[in-house]
Amino acid sequence: MTKKKITIALAGNPNSGKTTVFNNLTGARQHVGNWPGVTVEKKEGSCTFKGYTINVVDLPGVYSLTAYSLDEVIARDYVVDEKPDVVVDVVDASNLERNLYLAVQLLEMEANLVIALNMMDVAESREYQIDVKELSRLLGTPVVPMVAAWGKGTPELLDTVIAVAGGYQKVSGINLQYDHDVETEIVKLEKLISDSSLAEGYSPRWLAVKLLEEDEEIIGKIRQT
Amino acid sequence: MVIKPLREVEPLERGRIVKVGGRKGIRRRLLDMGVVVGAEVEVQRVAPLGDPLEIRIKGYNLALRLEEADNIQIEIFEGKL
Ligand SMILES: Nc1nc2c(ncn2[C@@H]2O[C@H](COP(=O)(O)OP(=O)(O)OP(=O)(O)O)[C@@H](O)[C@H]2O)c(=O)[nH]1
Ligand SMILES: [Mg+2]
Repeated sequence: MTKKKITIALAGNPNSGKTTVFNNLTGARQHVGNWPGVTVEKKEGSCTFKGYTINVVDLPGVYSLTAYSLDEVIARDYVVDEKPDVVVDVVDASNLERNLYLAVQLLEMEANLVIALNMMDVAESREYQIDVKELSRLLGTPVVPMVAAWGKGTPELLDTVIAVAGGYQKVSGINLQYDHDVETEIVKLEKLISDSSLAEGYSPRWLAVKLLEEDEEIIGKIRQT
Repeated sequence: MVIKPLREVEPLERGRIVKVGGRKGIRRRLLDMGVVVGAEVEVQRVAPLGDPLEIRIKGYNLALRLEEADNIQIEIFEGKL
């Protein structure tokens, strides 16, 4: 059984090309509203591709999902609570190291991630040679090279999104290990969380990491339950 | 080995970050931006009153307020570039 309706969220660092990708995907079929309760703009749109209806949500541009700014809270809550079928992380290929920090955070959240490796033209003009296959293997997630400004890579991105949403292509993610002392605490907390009702819909390991980081948002949410 | 706070590093001096301190929020923000122990930095330029200063780190330029730069300790690379 495949779902013919897919919801994807576009995440990425500021200026990585999210809105350009969004416009390529959705063309004229978009509307602008606000995120619930705040005045931050929320853009949504849709497209049809190979018989699928794909809803696209443009998330605020962020460097991180540590929830210190409203933009980060919005982006993170959307990924965690709304659980889009696929999260597309628009990555600036000319600035890979900084951009991959967010990608790793999304993988740690166990998002169904596809990386749109955008700005390949800029990377090439700087003579960066990116081994896309190896990057994909290391991150355990599909990587689609793109030049969104020229509309390059859009059909490949959509094919990949459909494959991941349908389970034909797996996102194995990465097994991020912290040092021994931290891992010991993570495992303890993870067990407590798994045995409680807290884990509902969340990754217990991710919650454990956030608790150790003293993430106020997550602590608040857990207090409520 | 010379270690000094980032605010005292001169333009075009380079070094490696050995400590990132500061209040939780500031520190976290710095870490999120790639200002982590071990990263190499070069001071690009400093505004007339010293605030903000611009550094190059992990292949991009980042502007920092002095208040933030105070929390960062740099081990300066010896020798001329
Ligand atoms: N050279 C090049 N420029 C691009 C590419 N994709 C987008 N751009 C340009 O990069 C700039 C930023 O693109 P946006 O789509 O606005 O980026 P964004 O991620 O939505 O930015 P914020 O919403 O501000 O976070 C624009 O000037 C785009 O035209 C690309 O693949 N190559
Ligand atoms: Mg945008």
